[in-house]
Amino acid sequence: MNSVKKTKPLLKRRNLYQLARPIFGIIFLAIILWRLYIVFVMKQQYGSDFWIRLIISGLIIGGVYSLIAIGYTLVYGILLMINFAHGEVMMIGTFAGYFIFEAANAITVPTAANPEINIANAYPAVTILIAFIVGMFIAAATGFFLEKIAYRPLRKAPRLIPLISAIGASIFLQNAAQILFSPQTRDYDNPSLMARGTGLDLLIGGSTIKVPYTGIFTFILSILLMVGLYLLVQKTRLGKSMRAVAMDKPTASLMGIDVDRTISSTFIISGALAGAAGVMWGIHNGLVYYFVGFIPGIKAFTAAVLGGIGNIPGAMLGGMFLGLVESVGPTALDISYQLKDVIAFVILIVILIFRPSGILGEVLAEEKV
Amino acid sequence: MNNNQPIRKSLQIGVVFGIIIVFMVLIGFHIIAATLISKAFGIAVARGKIPEVRFMLYLHILFGLWMGWSASGKNINRSRSLLQGLVSGLSTGVVVALFDLLMTFLIQSGTDVRSYLPEFSFDRMEYFLLGLGQNGIFAHLAIYTFTGIAGSLFAAFIRSSAVKQFSETLKSSYEEKSELIKSKLPPFAIKIATYGFYALLLAILLILPTRWGSYWNFVIGLVGIYVIAGIGLNIIVGLSGQLMLGYAAFFAMGAYSVALVNSPHPHNLLWGFWPGIAVGIITSILAAVILGLPIMRLRGDYLAIVTLGFGEIIRILLKSDVLTSLTGGPRGIHDIRNPAFFGSPFSSDVNYVYLIFAGIAITVFLFNRLQNSRTGRAWLAIKEDTLAAQATGVNLQRYKLLALCIGAAFAGLAGGIFAARNNFTGPNDHSLMVSINTLSIIIVGGVNSIPGIILGAFALKGLPEILREIENYRLLIFGALLIVMMLVRPNGLWPSSRPLFEKSSQPPVDDSEKETRGGNHA
Amino acid sequence: MKKKVLLSVVLLFALVLAACAPEAAPAEEAAPAEEEAMEEEAPAEEEEVAPAEEEAMEEEAVACTPVECPADDAAAMPVADVQAVCDADDYGCAVIPAGETVKIGMGSPMTGGDSAFGIDAENSGLLAVADACPFAGFNFELVAEDDGGLADGGAAVANKFVADPTVVAVAGHLFSGASAAAAVIYEEVGIPMLSPSATAPFLTEEGWDVFNRVPFTDGAAAKASADYLFNELGLTKAAILHDGEDYGKSLTTLFDAAFKEVGGEVVYFDAITSKEADYSPVLATIAALEPDVLFFGGYTQDGSVLTNQMKTTGLEDAVFFGCDGTYGVDFLDRAGENAEGTFHTIPKAAEVTDAQKRFDTCYMEAYGIAAKELSPYSYNSYDATTALIMLTKELAMLGDDGSLYVPRGALVTAVRNLDGYEGIGNIITCDEVGECNALGMVIVEVVDGEFVPVN
Repeated sequence: MNSVKKTKPLLKRRNLYQLARPIFGIIFLAIILWRLYIVFVMKQQYGSDFWIRLIISGLIIGGVYSLIAIGYTLVYGILLMINFAHGEVMMIGTFAGYFIFEAANAITVPTAANPEINIANAYPAVTILIAFIVGMFIAAATGFFLEKIAYRPLRKAPRLIPLISAIGASIFLQNAAQILFSPQTRDYDNPSLMARGTGLDLLIGGSTIKVPYTGIFTFILSILLMVGLYLLVQKTRLGKSMRAVAMDKPTASLMGIDVDRTISSTFIISGALAGAAGVMWGIHNGLVYYFVGFIPGIKAFTAAVLGGIGNIPGAMLGGMFLGLVESVGPTALDISYQLKDVIAFVILIVILIFRPSGILGEVLAEEKV
Repeated sequence: MNNNQPIRKSLQIGVVFGIIIVFMVLIGFHIIAATLISKAFGIAVARGKIPEVRFMLYLHILFGLWMGWSASGKNINRSRSLLQGLVSGLSTGVVVALFDLLMTFLIQSGTDVRSYLPEFSFDRMEYFLLGLGQNGIFAHLAIYTFTGIAGSLFAAFIRSSAVKQFSETLKSSYEEKSELIKSKLPPFAIKIATYGFYALLLAILLILPTRWGSYWNFVIGLVGIYVIAGIGLNIIVGLSGQLMLGYAAFFAMGAYSVALVNSPHPHNLLWGFWPGIAVGIITSILAAVILGLPIMRLRGDYLAIVTLGFGEIIRILLKSDVLTSLTGGPRGIHDIRNPAFFGSPFSSDVNYVYLIFAGIAITVFLFNRLQNSRTGRAWLAIKEDTLAAQATGVNLQRYKLLALCIGAAFAGLAGGIFAARNNFTGPNDHSLMVSINTLSIIIVGGVNSIPGIILGAFALKGLPEILREIENYRLLIFGALLIVMMLVRPNGLWPSSRPLFEKSSQPPVDDSEKETRGGNHA
Repeated sequence: MKKKVLLSVVLLFALVLAACAPEAAPAEEAAPAEEEAMEEEAPAEEEEVAPAEEEAMEEEAVACTPVECPADDAAAMPVADVQAVCDADDYGCAVIPAGETVKIGMGSPMTGGDSAFGIDAENSGLLAVADACPFAGFNFELVAEDDGGLADGGAAVANKFVADPTVVAVAGHLFSGASAAAAVIYEEVGIPMLSPSATAPFLTEEGWDVFNRVPFTDGAAAKASADYLFNELGLTKAAILHDGEDYGKSLTTLFDAAFKEVGGEVVYFDAITSKEADYSPVLATIAALEPDVLFFGGYTQDGSVLTNQMKTTGLEDAVFFGCDGTYGVDFLDRAGENAEGTFHTIPKAAEVTDAQKRFDTCYMEAYGIAAKELSPYSYNSYDATTALIMLTKELAMLGDDGSLYVPRGALVTAVRNLDGYEGIGNIITCDEVGECNALGMVIVEVVDGEFVPVN
């Protein structure tokens, strides 16, 4: 018999791969601290109002990212697939809102006081509400049909197949929008209530910051929708079925839950959220064109992964975090603004290296563990 | 299996076809389709012109027949299929008629539809209505009802026993005959035939590029470059199972290496193409190591987003102001010199095509050797079940990193040739779409299958260059094609003979690496 | 397995067939050239929707009458003589077989947020081709391709044109980034470029024979802008942004140097990521440094977003100074009220002539919008195209085999030697490196929703 070789004690057996992580972490931390030192200690050229302004900016954009990220996370939790076409669902919501605003601006409701007034200016709040409802509805419908046509038949296929199908759907929707609505960039003509450029003046640290009304609106609505979603998932029956299907599909169906219907509902809800995010994007940023959903889609996916895929609070956190990093990062680290995406991705990679399941951890089916 | 489809299904199909037609009209595709039909009849149509009305009629008829065929499902009962065809035809007709009514109303009320739907104009609507104005609406109803019935009946007829038997007998007699011939032949004859076939193929590959003009050389060259890249990505994704969405980064490494060491800008280095390729491969491998080491523990979809991020980081860095003195910034690097083969410089596209063919040959050879080697088996083990692989002694990190490096090396090669051939490269050449295109080529063509990858590259990169008529709709069709391919042939156009996946769904968790946190995930 | 073999055999057969098949029959030639301009796919109003409105101008408008063509009596030369000329030429000849059109290429961004420039260039080019009379029975055709304005697209379009033997010259590309990449490719084959709008200075410093341009250079624009800002407006602190692309970057680098030379202070220099929607962080960072003016190098989409967001990030009092890339009706639409008081640069228009007025009418009739609304380079595109057509006609030789031979090298030299060519918006005289602009540029300000020259 062979004698048992004495293996070296584990502590001493470091191979290259295990060393890589701590080294990487130390280097990264050192760089960050060094840059922060430069900005905060050495240069010190920005007052507190400035940072607050940046933080507000970051939160606003973060809110939108969170909404889209929740959509990604919902779908991933249930189907374990990356819905690459989610950004395009948001784009469709943006277009739907755009057309509502155009119609509202075109149709006049003559009153005694002002015979030329159009709906948008006569009933601004109603117009905005309708824009959101229509946007969410059409985006939800898109999500529903997307699932039905491109994903449902592939539910049993290995993971790569629905991914390519999703990519195909994304490309198809982008180009359909481009051809249908022309590649020209269009502007959102907001009702005067929500005119871009107007805002609330806050007095902070001795100077006034103008917080745009569209921004406030976007942020508050994002929070409301997220809270609403959380309640839906935790308190309602539909939410319970969603959680059940996400946890264990076969058992859920054995328990009498209609799995197909639940999955469809998930897509509808995630689509609705993306649609709302799209209309918000249009109102706040003002531009709509066929490619508008692509980059936010990728960023939102990054945010979802950052927070922990499958984890709804994680997606919210990830979105806000990403928004803040994009906004505050370049200036705080004294890095060119052009590299803000680099900063975001590097932070993502670092976080995933040390917490491979995201900040708040992933929430996935037990059978996969 | 039910031979009869309920009427509801045919109603659904009819409505779906109706929506498809409406969509096509809104994007102006009916003009293109009619143009193609017109071309098939030998009548060319100038750019921007509307073809003759009869081709729209033919288009309607073809479409209606297709709709009828789909509606009849697997039915062979004549009267049943008559009903199905009627129902679906009527529903398509109704959808189209409603659309017609809405659009004519909008146009007549003076709304400027064109500013919202630029591909939709009065002329085109008239053409769609076959030039009949209001009566066109009835014409549509009639056409679709009749063609629905006709298509459905025709489908039923084809599926009926008589026709089926006929084709069966044909097939079996053919098979019999071929078996007979095969058994009669001595074995070496088959071998000679195979070798002869390959020799013919080689001859064609060598002669064709000199004959068919620079445009085709350009297209085939592009396809070839993507084949090399595809095979490289296949090693990462198909052989070792790591989902990689940032392949463009390695491609960029290769391209920029060749560009920087082989051009008067910006550093005035003229080392030559071959050293450039060597540098490119080395830098790609370095990039792979830098990317790979920290992310060993990530599984499937996390890997996807990280690699995507990596690809974007490289692209943004290449474009940035910060590194412009090194990389040339957004202007890119132009005036990249052509390679020289044993002293004589490349004089034309043909040389590049030969180079690319040689590159493909090397790549395919290496791929086959790798796949059938111990490394290949280790990768297969990792892909199938990481826990079991570790249990059998496979060093996960080493093999995963190896796959990444080799895949990156191939990308470097492809990128270098790409840059040299274009005599130019820039940061926008290496966007996310490059990674996505390469991934699509592999999956649409067939993972792990060399002929599949070649076919996929041709279909997704070559065909769009060829189909110039539908240039505007190129990407639209590309996207739809991806979806359809996955629905219809998920294993690819030319699946590999080895089954890709043993199980239907993968255990995505890289169990061996995960630190247990109390065991359960809630 | 059989299916696969069959598939591969079919594919191979198709490949061989494609290689050996004769060229497909050419597209039907349109009837009179004028009609073609009207029915060409253009994002314009249909004739039925609204009758063409005459532009209300101070002087009388000139009707858009079709050009009267002289008798087309080019004599055919023996092929041997023609071959001799071609062989003597450095680049050989472009051979256009009978029945095909002589093509003038054009590369511009025709999709996306800056597509106004490309659409405008195509519109003008089509009018130029419509006004061109056939030569020896050969008609001219404009081939406008989308290059995205960027280097990779420029290279791709250039490769496409180079592969088409009937493309004799390129009235482009429109954007500097695309032109740079394309010029290298055209230089090898001998296709001359006459760009209506590529303004980056380095383009004429590369030593290319084929590249020529009609507009002013960014160097001139940067100096004039710096001078105006510092001396006329008295603004001393500038923040500079560019969109990360070639044109914007080179322009802003030049402005940076010019402004410092004039005595100003540059407090910030950075790039944004083009085509994003929210630039408020970088604008806030700039605002903290309290500049008087924000100088932006880039195109209309980003320019309008920046202008809008300046108001809410603390830069309400700063002046937005753009460039020729930010000019256009798109900018006015998107920035709305916020566009008031912004500056841009455009080429100086030549004296108003009848030919110019006629062009304005033709443009309005064909496309439903005024010339120079989408981009300031409408006249330049028209002039570039007509100049190229004119030179091609001068040099083309009709062989008695029915084909048209255009010596490429001679054409390249001819474009470079343009002297005093009077177009509708320019007088084109090219110097040794390809700068053909005689008129210079002008700074415009947005006042009451219109672009008004400042002096």
